[in-house]
Amino acid sequence: MLKVKNLHASVGDKEILKGLDIEVKAGEIHAIMGPNGSGKSTLSAVLAGRDEYEVTAGEVDYLGKELLELNPEERSWEGIFLAFQYPVEIPGVSNINFLKTAINERRKYFEQDPIAAKDFLKMVKEKSALVELNDKLKNRSVNVGFSGGEKKRNEIFQMAMLEPKLSILDETDSGLDIDALRIVAHGVNTLKSKDNATIIITHYQRLLDYIIPDFVHVLYDGRIIKTGGKELALELEDKGYDWLTKEEA
Amino acid sequence: MVVLKENNLLNSLSQMGVGLGAKNQAFELLKGLEFPTRKTEDWRYTSVKKILKKKYVQFNEAEYVGLSNEIVPSLDAYNIVLVNGVYSKELSAVNFPDEIVVDTFPNAMEEHVSLIHSTFNGLAKNNEEVFTALNTSYFHEGVFIHIPKKVKLEKPIHVTHVNTKSNVVSNVRLLIVAGSFSEVSVVQSFSSVNAIECLTNSVTEVFVKENAKVVLDKVQSEEPKNNLICTVQVNQKANSTFKINTATVSGDFVRNGVNIDVDGENCTSEMNGLYMQKGIQHVDNHTKISHLKPNCISFELYKGVLRDKSTGVFNGKVIVEVDSQKIEAYQQNKNIILSREATMNAKPELEIFADDVKCSHGTTTGQFDEEAIFYLQTRGISKESAKNLLIEAFADEVIDKVDSEELRIWIKEKLG
Repeated sequence: MLKVKNLHASVGDKEILKGLDIEVKAGEIHAIMGPNGSGKSTLSAVLAGRDEYEVTAGEVDYLGKELLELNPEERSWEGIFLAFQYPVEIPGVSNINFLKTAINERRKYFEQDPIAAKDFLKMVKEKSALVELNDKLKNRSVNVGFSGGEKKRNEIFQMAMLEPKLSILDETDSGLDIDALRIVAHGVNTLKSKDNATIIITHYQRLLDYIIPDFVHVLYDGRIIKTGGKELALELEDKGYDWLTKEEA
Repeated sequence: MVVLKENNLLNSLSQMGVGLGAKNQAFELLKGLEFPTRKTEDWRYTSVKKILKKKYVQFNEAEYVGLSNEIVPSLDAYNIVLVNGVYSKELSAVNFPDEIVVDTFPNAMEEHVSLIHSTFNGLAKNNEEVFTALNTSYFHEGVFIHIPKKVKLEKPIHVTHVNTKSNVVSNVRLLIVAGSFSEVSVVQSFSSVNAIECLTNSVTEVFVKENAKVVLDKVQSEEPKNNLICTVQVNQKANSTFKINTATVSGDFVRNGVNIDVDGENCTSEMNGLYMQKGIQHVDNHTKISHLKPNCISFELYKGVLRDKSTGVFNGKVIVEVDSQKIEAYQQNKNIILSREATMNAKPELEIFADDVKCSHGTTTGQFDEEAIFYLQTRGISKESAKNLLIEAFADEVIDKVDSEELRIWIKEKLG
């Protein structure tokens, strides 16, 4: 589904990704872990198409398309979803109205008619139940006045509504209490299928107790320095990153 | 015309209509007044040169060849229609409730002469504002609205000002007297049909008596290349509520003046404005609220979106007199600039002479929130739609101040 080869990316003069390789197949869950400043958030931003990041080398193949050629909305239409570490507050734009616009723009891209009001409402009801999102929050302005946990649940709600093929969860566990973590994990696990894939970017192992990854990668200084199975996450939890980064140095 | 410089605007006008003494006085005053220049403090960012240069035609009879009811928007309201500045009996409603008075000055004079004499021109600043003096001298028949004591009007009164010929100059005058404990909502809309290079100079006086509630919604949707000067003078007595919402959708040159004298305790005053400009449009909002008595509260929110080479001015003056304690006055002006060539001049002016008050003001002028746009894009909303969504959300904060849903929808339709 996703093949990243030798990806280099910079912000201003500073190179952050320095030759990153990763391959993700349909049906898989990948966890990317690493210490602060290793390039985790840069990777998610580059995959989602943020233009502050300049890709200086490498290529990203997504379902046979050159991903880096697409703008952010096209990536979304093609099935990429990024759950933000810090979801943005948008005063005055209602959560529901915004999702309806999003769904209809994608339908337009695929030359489909706008979604029927009835179908949309049914979908909202079903998907919001998945992450136990309160009715009031659905109609409020996007993320405005939401608690940290509600914002993250809202991200997963949007993910459920947009039915992506490849979801990237950027530090979705940060700032979540244990109940919210469980709810978010339940949402992600329920949405998992043999046709979609998930990349979980995280600093800590605890989310991986609830969402079991098929692969765990360690990102350090802009490159993947180790890849293993789910037991690697536990090893990292136990030993920290030093034993790997020293080896690297 | 000694002092007033020779210009086309004045040459276009001739005195008509009612024999109110005030007209002649204003006409005399006009001889001693000058049109503002960029050196006039209140007109520093707005040049009137362009509108004075043009040649205009003044209409003295209602003209509605080819006009139909379609020019009157289908709001559920009592309609009054002025075509090219002249009251149109044919297009105006006849079904007003008996207890209220809505008529031209000449007609209303017969029965309400003392009320008109005690109110008309009482708030107009003829000696300070040349366009007000011009209006007082040259307005045609004008419209008088009287809501007597304790009468609460369910439906709004909609005064439509429409220009249907190019180069028309319309001096339109409205007097609203809301008796104590009365309630009324008035919509003033300004539009044009196949007419360009027009100038509408409107003056509205509003008397809000004790415990009365008046709402004035102004919708300005002139076709481009038209010019509009709109002055609203308000006097509020004790325990009254006054709210004015101004939506400027279009118009090449628009100058709005709102002056409220809060002349009683326990009053609530609210001023809101929205302007969405493009091309070379210029919109100037000058507001002034004078808190003359203690224990009152005022709110003000003006927001604008400027595109292309458009220019905007916001000047909001809040005056709290020395004995006006316990005043709360809040003012905000927010602007989004969408082009490098658009300009906004925003100036809050607070003159607070009392010491026990709560006043705040803030003005922001900026571009889009790029974070928000990227967020929306990642959800599959194109950059263009994301911008539109954010503009709509920005404008909605002001549109939501309009009480009537029907009117909110109408304004949104006009904004497109």
